[in-house]
Amino acid sequence: MRRLRKYKPFARASAIDMMAYRFNILTWAIVTVAEVACLVFLWLAVYQSSEGGINSSINGFTYKEMISYVVLTTIFGFVTFNDDTMWYINRDIRQGTIGNFLIKPISYRGKFIASNIGAFSMMSLVFGIPLYAAGLGTLIGIGFLPVPSVWDFIAHFGLFLIASVLACLLNGAISYLFGILCFYTTAAWGLNSLKTTVISFLSGTLLPIAFFPNVFREIVSYMPFAGMSQNPVLILMMKYSYLECAKVLLISFAWLILLELLGKLLFNHAIKLVTVQGG
Amino acid sequence: MIKVQELTKIFRKPIRGKGLIGMISTLFSRKYTEIRAVDGVSFDIPEGEIVGYIGSNGAGKSTTIKMMCGILTPTSGKVFIGDKEPYLKRRVVAKDIGVVFGQKSQLWWDIPLVESFKVLKEIYQVSDEDYEERMSFLSSVLGIDEFMTQPVRTLSLGQRMRADLAASMLHNPKILFLDEPTIGMDVLVKEKIRTAIHALNAKYHTTIVLTTHDMADIENLCSRIIMIEKGKIIYDGPLRDIKRRFGNIKTLTLTVPPSVDPEKVKPFSDDVAMVLDKDNKDKVVLKFDADKVVLEHVVQYAFSQYQAIDMKIADISIEDVVKQILSQQEEEHEKAKKI
Repeated sequence: MRRLRKYKPFARASAIDMMAYRFNILTWAIVTVAEVACLVFLWLAVYQSSEGGINSSINGFTYKEMISYVVLTTIFGFVTFNDDTMWYINRDIRQGTIGNFLIKPISYRGKFIASNIGAFSMMSLVFGIPLYAAGLGTLIGIGFLPVPSVWDFIAHFGLFLIASVLACLLNGAISYLFGILCFYTTAAWGLNSLKTTVISFLSGTLLPIAFFPNVFREIVSYMPFAGMSQNPVLILMMKYSYLECAKVLLISFAWLILLELLGKLLFNHAIKLVTVQGG
Repeated sequence: MIKVQELTKIFRKPIRGKGLIGMISTLFSRKYTEIRAVDGVSFDIPEGEIVGYIGSNGAGKSTTIKMMCGILTPTSGKVFIGDKEPYLKRRVVAKDIGVVFGQKSQLWWDIPLVESFKVLKEIYQVSDEDYEERMSFLSSVLGIDEFMTQPVRTLSLGQRMRADLAASMLHNPKILFLDEPTIGMDVLVKEKIRTAIHALNAKYHTTIVLTTHDMADIENLCSRIIMIEKGKIIYDGPLRDIKRRFGNIKTLTLTVPPSVDPEKVKPFSDDVAMVLDKDNKDKVVLKFDADKVVLEHVVQYAFSQYQAIDMKIADISIEDVVKQILSQQEEEHEKAKKI
């Protein structure tokens, strides 16, 4: 425990940073609301023009579930993905400030994990609670999200929280891996676009993974990305049985460990390439 | 305390072609040049010593320092801090060393100085008593109290340097690396920083390695100097030996009126060398050994014979010392060849 205490300042700093950008976040929120509205109408149009009409189910999703999915995925992404690990690493490499961390008795990775957790906690408190309350309240209220039993809902919500933390850490780990690639190439902008595209497509943010073709769907569901957006949201929507919940959480956890190990290996190799400017 | 064995660092730099075609061709085939920034350097530094690590720009000073504090990994050779190699046991060694880079602050730019210290206190896990004790000592020798609550970005260069120095001492490291601690400061601030470095060394018995371009830093602080040029050590020993070799060389730069032709002035004596600047006809440089010639006499002579309007007295620069050592070594080499 004592060893973890030295990472506290980084968690606190990123939490404070998050609040310093609250106006950016608010403007971003307004844009997002407009986007969600577009998506809702898009899906309504899709369901209305489908063969079975508005009440049909496409790939296991009714239109009510689909709209719930879109709303909750958006809130989820907003609260969970506040990671700029990759940009920080890129900056540290370019400006040579990485030296400042290498001479301190802290782990470079640990610093970023602390920052991720700090930002995530702050976002959950300030935006997460009201947004989930409003979102879930409305969806349940208008009957889009049926709640058969309150206890079931509470249990799923608990599992959802665990899944959220895992998603946040997975996102950070992938961002870190991409950041380490900046040691080898300075094409951070391209790497970031690649990362964003891959994550939003394979995590089911754009489209539930159930909509992908058969074999591809199987593969994607065992990749780390599904645990970063689709699985937590489907847990929250109670689309998963407890067994399925356990399975997807386990997959995420295994990936987290694997990605962290990979990051460590890659870092140990990359650090030998450091050439600090002005030497 | 510090042991450096055959330390070598080779940087590989891609050769970029010129122009657009050259740029495109480097995409497909890369050729590298190898730069030996540090080349087979070895030395030992015992505990409590203040060592000046000097050399001209690009000689390999900072690269060596960066390998000693674990930022860079050597291409070959070894560094031991205590009994550990910093680039292998980075986090363990980090507790024992403090580093100040004169060109880069490691303080948090936007937060008040005192908050930076508190963060460092947590990172290095300094106990409350130790923190209080060190802060009161550090602020008394460095005078940082007056700007404790200001954000670091509002500090002047001298203040920032003092703050950085305090920050690097907060965890009471056994070794302190100072990379050009007095760069860009005025004389008074330099003096304050030197006094502080002395006080730290005396109180905590900290081993200090410092690089500098300022001869006065070395004279005031270092008992021993290690001189490096093109990645190789060219001198390692006490400062007074260097002085004995070259004497107490000073330069006197004069501005002479156009009516005086410096070439026609009778030389003072064989001990004073006159150097003329071809581009600036009104500048004359007199170089002499202040232990052999009385400074006052040379100054009087400059005024009377050259009718100097202005003059500047300076100690020999590190670059000059390096040049002299190199030329001396070459001479010895030549002699050895002849024999």
